[in-house]
Amino acid sequence: MMRCPTCLVELEGGFTELGRHIFNQQIQNDAGHITWINRYVGRSRTDEDAFISNVTAVFQNESLKEWIVHQFVRKFYGADPHQFILAMQRPSKFVLLGYAYEHHHFLKQWVKSCASIISNTDIEEVQHYELDNISSEWHGAGSTIPSHHELLLRMGESYGVKREDIYATEALDSTKLAISTWDYICRDLTFVEGMAAMHSLELIANRNIRNYGSSVWYFNPEILSDGSVTMETAEFLKEGYHADVIHSEVALDLIEKYSKKLNLVQPVQAIVMKSMEEFDNYLNARLERGAMLENK
Amino acid sequence: MCNATWGEYWRDIDGESMFFCCDVCADIFETMVNKIKENTGWSSIDRVDLVGNYNKGRECSAKKGNDEFKYYFRTYSNGKFITFEKR
Repeated sequence: MMRCPTCLVELEGGFTELGRHIFNQQIQNDAGHITWINRYVGRSRTDEDAFISNVTAVFQNESLKEWIVHQFVRKFYGADPHQFILAMQRPSKFVLLGYAYEHHHFLKQWVKSCASIISNTDIEEVQHYELDNISSEWHGAGSTIPSHHELLLRMGESYGVKREDIYATEALDSTKLAISTWDYICRDLTFVEGMAAMHSLELIANRNIRNYGSSVWYFNPEILSDGSVTMETAEFLKEGYHADVIHSEVALDLIEKYSKKLNLVQPVQAIVMKSMEEFDNYLNARLERGAMLENK
Repeated sequence: MCNATWGEYWRDIDGESMFFCCDVCADIFETMVNKIKENTGWSSIDRVDLVGNYNKGRECSAKKGNDEFKYYFRTYSNGKFITFEKR
Protein backbone atom coordinates (compact mmCIF):
# COMPACT_ATOMS: atom_id res chain seq x y z
CA MET A 1 0.00 0.00 0.00
CA MET A 2 1.17 3.51 -0.84
CA ARG A 3 -0.17 6.76 0.59
CA CYS A 4 -0.25 10.17 -1.09
CA PRO A 5 1.69 12.72 1.02
CA THR A 6 -0.81 15.46 0.16
CA CYS A 7 -4.37 14.08 0.15
CA LEU A 8 -3.45 10.92 2.15
CA VAL A 9 -5.43 8.67 -0.23
CA GLU A 10 -4.38 4.99 -0.17
CA LEU A 11 -3.10 3.71 -3.51
CA GLU A 12 -2.65 0.13 -4.65
CA GLY A 13 0.63 -0.64 -6.38
CA GLY A 14 4.01 1.04 -6.03
CA PHE A 15 5.83 4.28 -6.79
CA THR A 16 4.61 4.27 -10.41
CA GLU A 17 1.01 4.48 -9.23
CA LEU A 18 1.90 7.12 -6.62
CA GLY A 19 3.77 9.18 -9.23
CA ARG A 20 0.88 8.93 -11.70
CA HIS A 21 -1.62 10.02 -9.05
CA ILE A 22 0.39 13.14 -8.15
CA PHE A 23 1.10 13.91 -11.82
CA ASN A 24 -2.61 13.73 -12.65
CA GLN A 25 -3.45 16.01 -9.73
CA GLN A 26 -1.11 18.73 -11.04
CA ILE A 27 -2.74 18.48 -14.48
CA GLN A 28 -5.95 19.41 -12.65
CA ASN A 29 -4.11 22.40 -11.07
CA ASP A 30 -4.54 21.08 -7.54
CA ALA A 31 -2.73 23.53 -5.25
CA GLY A 32 -1.78 21.04 -2.52
CA HIS A 33 -0.17 18.54 -4.89
CA ILE A 34 1.63 21.29 -6.86
CA THR A 35 3.01 22.69 -3.61
CA TRP A 36 4.31 19.23 -2.70
CA ILE A 37 5.93 18.83 -6.15
CA ASN A 38 7.60 22.25 -5.85
CA ARG A 39 9.01 21.43 -2.42
CA TYR A 40 10.15 17.86 -2.93
CA VAL A 41 10.58 17.22 -6.67
CA GLY A 42 11.32 20.60 -8.26
CA ARG A 43 9.64 23.56 -9.92
CA SER A 44 10.33 22.70 -13.57
CA ARG A 45 7.84 20.58 -15.44
CA THR A 46 9.06 17.20 -16.74
CA ASP A 47 7.34 14.40 -18.63
CA GLU A 48 5.47 11.74 -16.65
CA ASP A 49 8.21 9.08 -16.77
CA ALA A 50 10.89 11.44 -15.46
CA PHE A 51 8.44 12.68 -12.85
CA ILE A 52 7.72 9.16 -11.56
CA SER A 53 11.46 8.48 -11.34
CA ASN A 54 11.97 11.75 -9.38
CA VAL A 55 9.10 10.97 -7.00
CA THR A 56 10.58 7.52 -6.34
CA ALA A 57 13.92 9.15 -5.47
CA VAL A 58 12.27 11.41 -2.87
CA PHE A 59 11.30 8.37 -0.80
CA GLN A 60 14.53 6.35 -1.13
CA ASN A 61 16.39 5.85 2.16
CA GLU A 62 18.85 3.61 3.97
CA SER A 63 17.49 4.55 7.39
CA LEU A 64 13.95 5.86 7.91
CA LYS A 65 15.03 7.68 11.09
CA GLU A 66 17.77 9.55 9.21
CA TRP A 67 15.37 10.32 6.35
CA ILE A 68 12.85 11.86 8.79
CA VAL A 69 15.54 13.94 10.51
CA HIS A 70 16.89 15.09 7.14
CA GLN A 71 13.45 16.13 5.88
CA PHE A 72 12.63 17.91 9.13
CA VAL A 73 15.89 19.86 9.23
CA ARG A 74 15.52 20.76 5.55
CA LYS A 75 11.98 22.04 6.13
CA PHE A 76 12.38 23.98 9.38
CA TYR A 77 16.12 24.57 9.85
CA GLY A 78 17.37 24.81 6.23
CA ALA A 79 18.78 27.80 4.35
CA ASP A 80 15.77 29.85 5.45
CA PRO A 81 14.77 28.66 8.95
CA HIS A 82 11.10 28.99 9.87
CA GLN A 83 10.15 32.54 10.88
CA PHE A 84 8.95 31.34 14.28
CA ILE A 85 12.36 29.79 14.99
CA LEU A 86 14.05 33.05 13.94
CA ALA A 87 11.67 34.95 16.26
CA MET A 88 12.61 32.57 19.11
CA GLN A 89 16.29 33.52 18.94
CA ARG A 90 15.37 36.72 20.87
CA PRO A 91 11.66 36.31 21.54
CA SER A 92 9.46 39.28 22.36
CA LYS A 93 6.74 39.13 25.01
CA PHE A 94 4.14 38.88 22.24
CA VAL A 95 5.86 36.02 20.42
CA LEU A 96 5.89 34.08 23.71
CA LEU A 97 2.26 34.93 24.40
CA GLY A 98 1.29 33.80 20.88
CA TYR A 99 3.15 30.58 21.71
CA ALA A 100 1.20 30.16 24.97
CA TYR A 101 -2.26 30.79 23.49
CA GLU A 102 -1.93 28.49 20.45
CA HIS A 103 0.21 25.79 22.07
CA HIS A 104 -2.42 25.23 24.75
CA HIS A 105 -4.72 23.93 21.99
CA PHE A 106 -1.90 21.94 20.43
CA LEU A 107 -1.16 20.17 23.72
CA LYS A 108 -4.83 19.43 24.35
CA GLN A 109 -4.85 17.58 21.02
CA TRP A 110 -1.43 16.06 21.70
CA VAL A 111 -2.62 14.05 24.67
CA LYS A 112 -5.64 12.83 22.70
CA SER A 113 -3.38 11.80 19.81
CA CYS A 114 -1.12 9.83 22.17
CA ALA A 115 -4.21 8.13 23.63
CA SER A 116 -5.47 7.26 20.13
CA ILE A 117 -2.10 5.68 19.32
CA ILE A 118 -2.35 3.58 22.49
CA SER A 119 -5.85 2.47 21.56
CA ASN A 120 -4.70 1.44 18.07
CA THR A 121 -2.05 -1.06 19.19
CA ASP A 122 -1.40 -3.95 21.59
CA ILE A 123 2.37 -3.43 21.48
CA GLU A 124 3.38 -2.69 25.05
CA GLU A 125 6.62 -0.80 24.38
CA VAL A 126 4.62 1.63 22.24
CA GLN A 127 1.94 1.99 24.91
CA HIS A 128 4.58 2.59 27.60
CA TYR A 129 6.27 5.20 25.44
CA GLU A 130 3.01 7.06 24.87
CA LEU A 131 2.04 6.89 28.56
CA ASP A 132 5.38 8.39 29.52
CA ASN A 133 4.86 11.10 26.91
CA ILE A 134 1.34 11.88 28.18
CA SER A 135 2.70 12.09 31.69
CA SER A 136 5.43 14.60 30.91
CA GLU A 137 3.41 16.70 28.45
CA TRP A 138 0.07 16.77 30.23
CA HIS A 139 -0.08 15.15 33.65
CA GLY A 140 3.25 15.83 35.32
CA ALA A 141 4.53 13.77 38.24
CA GLY A 142 3.39 14.99 41.64
CA SER A 143 3.70 18.54 42.90
CA THR A 144 7.43 18.86 42.22
CA ILE A 145 7.41 17.96 38.50
CA PRO A 146 4.79 20.01 36.64
CA SER A 147 3.68 19.00 33.17
CA HIS A 148 4.83 20.78 30.03
CA HIS A 149 1.28 22.17 29.73
CA GLU A 150 1.39 23.59 33.27
CA LEU A 151 4.77 25.22 32.53
CA LEU A 152 3.27 26.73 29.36
CA LEU A 153 0.38 28.28 31.33
CA ARG A 154 2.84 29.67 33.89
CA MET A 155 4.82 31.25 31.04
CA GLY A 156 1.65 33.00 29.84
CA GLU A 157 0.83 34.14 33.39
CA SER A 158 4.35 35.54 33.81
CA TYR A 159 3.52 37.99 30.98
CA GLY A 160 0.30 39.11 32.60
CA VAL A 161 -2.41 36.94 31.06
CA LYS A 162 -4.77 34.73 33.03
CA ARG A 163 -4.82 31.01 32.33
CA GLU A 164 -8.62 31.30 32.17
CA ASP A 165 -8.19 33.62 29.17
CA ILE A 166 -5.87 31.13 27.44
CA TYR A 167 -8.49 28.42 27.98
CA ALA A 168 -11.33 30.66 26.79
CA THR A 169 -9.62 31.88 23.60
CA GLU A 170 -10.51 29.89 20.51
CA ALA A 171 -7.61 28.58 18.46
CA LEU A 172 -6.81 30.34 15.17
CA ASP A 173 -8.04 28.64 11.98
CA SER A 174 -4.60 27.29 11.02
CA THR A 175 -4.19 25.74 14.46
CA LYS A 176 -7.67 24.20 14.24
CA LEU A 177 -6.99 22.75 10.79
CA ALA A 178 -3.67 21.26 11.87
CA ILE A 179 -5.23 19.79 15.00
CA SER A 180 -8.03 18.16 13.01
CA THR A 181 -5.49 16.57 10.65
CA TRP A 182 -3.49 15.12 13.55
CA ASP A 183 -6.68 13.92 15.19
CA TYR A 184 -7.70 12.10 11.99
CA ILE A 185 -4.27 10.52 11.43
CA CYS A 186 -3.92 9.24 15.00
CA ARG A 187 -7.51 8.10 15.36
CA ASP A 188 -8.18 6.54 11.94
CA LEU A 189 -4.81 5.42 10.53
CA THR A 190 -2.32 2.88 11.88
CA PHE A 191 -0.59 3.45 15.23
CA VAL A 192 2.81 3.76 13.54
CA GLU A 193 1.53 6.49 11.19
CA GLY A 194 0.08 8.27 14.22
CA MET A 195 3.43 8.08 15.98
CA ALA A 196 5.18 9.41 12.89
CA ALA A 197 2.74 12.34 12.63
CA MET A 198 3.24 13.44 16.22
CA HIS A 199 6.69 12.45 17.39
CA SER A 200 8.60 13.57 14.29
CA LEU A 201 7.50 17.07 15.39
CA GLU A 202 9.42 16.77 18.65
CA LEU A 203 12.57 17.23 16.59
CA ILE A 204 11.71 20.95 16.65
CA ALA A 205 13.16 21.43 20.14
CA ASN A 206 15.84 18.73 19.94
CA ARG A 207 19.05 20.35 21.15
CA ASN A 208 21.07 18.02 18.91
CA ILE A 209 19.51 19.71 15.88
CA ARG A 210 22.77 21.49 15.00
CA ASN A 211 24.51 18.12 14.75
CA TYR A 212 22.04 17.34 11.99
CA GLY A 213 22.94 20.37 9.89
CA SER A 214 20.94 23.25 11.35
CA SER A 215 22.60 26.66 11.69
CA VAL A 216 20.48 27.63 14.72
CA TRP A 217 18.81 25.99 17.73
CA TYR A 218 15.08 26.22 18.42
CA PHE A 219 15.96 29.20 20.60
CA ASN A 220 19.17 30.92 21.56
CA PRO A 221 20.24 29.08 24.77
CA GLU A 222 21.59 32.36 26.17
CA ILE A 223 18.02 33.51 26.84
CA LEU A 224 17.69 30.83 29.53
CA SER A 225 20.05 32.76 31.79
CA ASP A 226 20.53 36.32 30.51
CA GLY A 227 17.32 37.74 32.02
CA SER A 228 15.74 38.62 28.66
CA VAL A 229 12.77 36.31 29.31
CA THR A 230 10.86 35.56 32.50
CA MET A 231 11.99 32.78 34.83
CA GLU A 232 8.79 30.88 33.96
CA THR A 233 9.63 31.10 30.26
CA ALA A 234 13.12 29.75 30.91
CA GLU A 235 11.59 26.86 32.92
CA PHE A 236 9.15 26.07 30.09
CA LEU A 237 11.79 26.17 27.36
CA LYS A 238 14.34 24.24 29.42
CA GLU A 239 11.91 21.37 30.02
CA GLY A 240 11.24 20.91 26.32
CA TYR A 241 14.93 21.34 25.53
CA HIS A 242 15.74 18.32 27.72
CA ALA A 243 12.65 16.16 27.12
CA ASP A 244 12.41 16.43 23.35
CA VAL A 245 15.82 14.83 22.72
CA ILE A 246 14.65 11.67 24.46
CA HIS A 247 11.08 11.89 23.16
CA SER A 248 11.91 12.40 19.50
CA GLU A 249 14.84 10.01 19.18
CA VAL A 250 13.28 7.08 21.07
CA ALA A 251 10.09 7.53 19.07
CA LEU A 252 11.96 7.61 15.76
CA ASP A 253 13.59 4.27 16.63
CA LEU A 254 10.14 2.77 17.38
CA ILE A 255 8.69 4.26 14.18
CA GLU A 256 11.50 2.79 12.09
CA LYS A 257 11.22 -0.62 13.75
CA TYR A 258 7.45 -1.01 13.34
CA SER A 259 7.06 0.63 9.95
CA LYS A 260 9.52 -1.92 8.55
CA LYS A 261 7.88 -4.79 10.40
CA LEU A 262 4.41 -3.79 9.15
CA ASN A 263 5.58 -2.83 5.64
CA LEU A 264 4.45 0.77 6.16
CA VAL A 265 7.65 2.70 5.41
CA GLN A 266 6.28 4.76 2.48
CA PRO A 267 2.93 5.56 4.21
CA VAL A 268 4.90 6.72 7.26
CA GLN A 269 7.06 8.96 5.05
CA ALA A 270 3.88 10.41 3.48
CA ILE A 271 2.44 11.12 6.93
CA VAL A 272 5.65 12.81 8.10
CA MET A 273 5.49 15.15 5.09
CA LYS A 274 1.81 15.94 5.71
CA SER A 275 2.40 16.53 9.40
CA MET A 276 5.31 18.89 8.69
CA GLU A 277 3.10 20.96 6.37
CA GLU A 278 0.48 21.30 9.10
CA PHE A 279 3.16 22.11 11.68
CA ASP A 280 4.53 24.86 9.43
CA ASN A 281 1.10 26.50 9.36
CA TYR A 282 0.66 25.97 13.10
CA LEU A 283 4.00 27.71 13.88
CA ASN A 284 2.83 30.61 11.72
CA ALA A 285 -0.38 30.72 13.77
CA ARG A 286 1.72 31.32 16.91
CA LEU A 287 3.23 34.37 15.17
CA GLU A 288 -0.17 35.54 13.94
CA ARG A 289 -1.58 35.28 17.48
CA GLY A 290 1.40 37.20 18.85
CA ALA A 291 0.84 39.99 16.31
CA MET A 292 -2.89 40.08 17.15
CA LEU A 293 -2.10 40.49 20.86
CA GLU A 294 0.51 43.16 20.16
CA ASN A 295 -1.90 45.20 18.00
CA LYS A 296 -4.86 44.79 20.33
CA MET B 1 4.21 33.57 -7.58
CA CYS B 2 6.18 30.36 -6.92
CA ASN B 3 8.01 30.12 -10.27
CA ALA B 4 6.58 26.65 -10.86
CA THR B 5 5.87 25.45 -14.39
CA TRP B 6 3.45 22.78 -13.17
CA GLY B 7 -0.29 23.22 -13.51
CA GLU B 8 -2.13 25.67 -15.74
CA TYR B 9 -4.59 28.02 -14.06
CA TRP B 10 -5.82 31.28 -15.61
CA ARG B 11 -7.53 34.19 -13.88
CA ASP B 12 -8.49 37.71 -14.99
CA ILE B 13 -6.86 40.22 -12.63
CA ASP B 14 -7.10 43.96 -13.34
CA GLY B 15 -8.47 43.25 -16.81
CA GLU B 16 -5.55 41.00 -17.76
CA SER B 17 -5.70 37.24 -18.20
CA MET B 18 -2.84 35.87 -16.10
CA PHE B 19 -1.23 32.43 -15.88
CA PHE B 20 -0.64 30.69 -12.51
CA CYS B 21 0.13 27.12 -11.44
CA CYS B 22 -2.92 26.94 -9.16
CA ASP B 23 -5.73 28.89 -7.51
CA VAL B 24 -3.72 29.52 -4.31
CA CYS B 25 -1.01 31.44 -6.21
CA ALA B 26 -3.74 33.36 -8.07
CA ASP B 27 -5.46 34.18 -4.73
CA ILE B 28 -2.19 35.49 -3.27
CA PHE B 29 -1.48 37.66 -6.31
CA GLU B 30 -5.01 39.05 -6.46
CA THR B 31 -5.06 39.84 -2.72
CA MET B 32 -1.65 41.49 -3.02
CA VAL B 33 -2.85 43.71 -5.90
CA ASN B 34 -5.90 44.76 -3.88
CA LYS B 35 -3.75 45.57 -0.83
CA ILE B 36 -1.40 47.73 -2.94
CA LYS B 37 -4.41 49.66 -4.26
CA GLU B 38 -5.84 50.10 -0.75
CA ASN B 39 -2.50 51.44 0.52
CA THR B 40 -1.72 53.76 -2.41
CA GLY B 41 -5.11 54.82 -3.76
CA TRP B 42 -3.92 53.83 -7.25
CA SER B 43 -6.58 52.58 -9.67
CA SER B 44 -4.08 50.41 -11.53
CA ILE B 45 -0.48 49.20 -11.19
CA ASP B 46 2.17 49.32 -13.94
CA ARG B 47 4.60 46.77 -12.50
CA VAL B 48 5.44 44.67 -9.44
CA ASP B 49 8.79 43.10 -8.50
CA LEU B 50 8.90 40.35 -5.87
CA VAL B 51 12.04 39.00 -4.17
CA GLY B 52 11.94 36.17 -1.63
CA ASN B 53 10.12 32.93 -1.12
CA TYR B 54 7.40 31.24 0.94
CA ASN B 55 9.60 30.76 4.03
CA LYS B 56 11.16 34.22 4.20
CA GLY B 57 8.22 36.12 2.81
CA ARG B 58 8.60 38.52 -0.11
CA GLU B 59 10.16 41.99 -0.25
CA CYS B 60 8.33 43.76 -3.06
CA SER B 61 8.08 46.96 -5.04
CA ALA B 62 5.05 48.20 -7.00
CA LYS B 63 5.30 51.04 -9.55
CA LYS B 64 2.77 53.42 -11.09
CA GLY B 65 4.41 55.97 -13.38
CA ASN B 66 7.15 57.60 -11.26
CA ASP B 67 5.60 56.50 -7.95
CA GLU B 68 6.88 53.49 -6.04
CA PHE B 69 5.34 51.54 -3.13
CA LYS B 70 7.59 49.14 -1.19
CA TYR B 71 6.07 46.38 0.90
CA TYR B 72 6.61 42.94 2.47
CA PHE B 73 4.20 40.08 2.78
CA ARG B 74 4.04 36.49 3.96
CA THR B 75 1.24 33.94 3.71
CA TYR B 76 0.12 30.59 5.03
CA SER B 77 0.40 27.66 2.61
CA ASN B 78 -3.29 28.06 1.73
CA GLY B 79 -2.65 31.63 0.59
CA LYS B 80 -4.13 33.43 3.59
CA PHE B 81 -2.06 36.50 4.46
CA ILE B 82 -0.15 36.48 7.77
CA THR B 83 1.55 39.82 7.21
CA PHE B 84 1.37 42.73 4.76
CA GLU B 85 3.58 45.68 5.77
CA LYS B 86 4.60 48.91 4.11
CA ARG B 87 8.43 49.20 3.96
